[in-house]
Amino acid sequence: MRCEECSDKLDRFVDRELTNTEALEVQLHLEGCPDCMEHYDFQEHLKRVVKRSCDCDVAPTAFREKLRQILS
Amino acid sequence: MAEPAAQTAFAEEALTHLDTLYRGALRLTHDPDAAQDLVQEAYLRALRYQHSYQQGTNMKAWLFAIMRNLFWDRFKGSRKEDVSLDDVGEFVLYDKLRDEGARPEADVLDKIAASEVVSAVDKLPPLHREVVLLVDVEGFSYKDAAQTLAVPIGTVMSRLHRARQQLQKSLFDYAVESGIVRPDGMNEGPPRNHGEASDFVGPRQVPQQ
Ligand SMILES: [Zn+2]
Ligand SMILES: [Zn+2]
Repeated sequence: MRCEECSDKLDRFVDRELTNTEALEVQLHLEGCPDCMEHYDFQEHLKRVVKRSCDCDVAPTAFREKLRQILS
Repeated sequence: MAEPAAQTAFAEEALTHLDTLYRGALRLTHDPDAAQDLVQEAYLRALRYQHSYQQGTNMKAWLFAIMRNLFWDRFKGSRKEDVSLDDVGEFVLYDKLRDEGARPEADVLDKIAASEVVSAVDKLPPLHREVVLLVDVEGFSYKDAAQTLAVPIGTVMSRLHRARQQLQKSLFDYAVESGIVRPDGMNEGPPRNHGEASDFVGPRQVPQQ
């Protein structure tokens, strides 16, 4: 696999959307290519940072109770 | 109308997805009160149309679709108002920092406060923002996201790609403004350990000037 193809598949790799075979091919390329590996690390990390940051918001308890009343 | 017991069971199951809906509504409306109105409306509508929900399918995706459709119809007005992302070109934080000799991963992302990451997400155009919410925050598959948004999977992928580029640009701008990186790419402060503990993203990780 060439770097260009790896880079094309990086989003899907990070999002676990590739088939097992495709993912294995990307994995093999990453292990032999420090450039792509760093790029992957960064993308994967960005995804986690976005999730963690947005996850902080949860529905207020009072609102949850209000909804439970309304819906039952 | 369903039997009371069935209705309660449906409502209970639906409420297990409340945090996902609330988070989504908050990111879409940028306002806690508006988010609660939107979510409440979405739940009432879901209850009214519960017969159209197919048991065994993804209820979270179904609820989210109801919520975001309401947002676009009622709260946002017209879908055409959405501004598409400016062409950020091939600018990406990673490449930019690498060219400038900084080590992007641990040294930059880990120092950016959670509130800044959230604000970078908030600055995305809504059509791109909701893809990030579904895929990155809520862990939807491309297929579920496509179904929720009623667009082809290819559209999910291209919006996601653009959104991530834009996020990187916003975060890079912030990192420069706040002195986490200097425009010439030299990092301020000592290097951070890169492990589970240091991966916590919080305000305290922004170094004081
Ligand atoms: Zn490569
Ligand atoms: Zn890290």
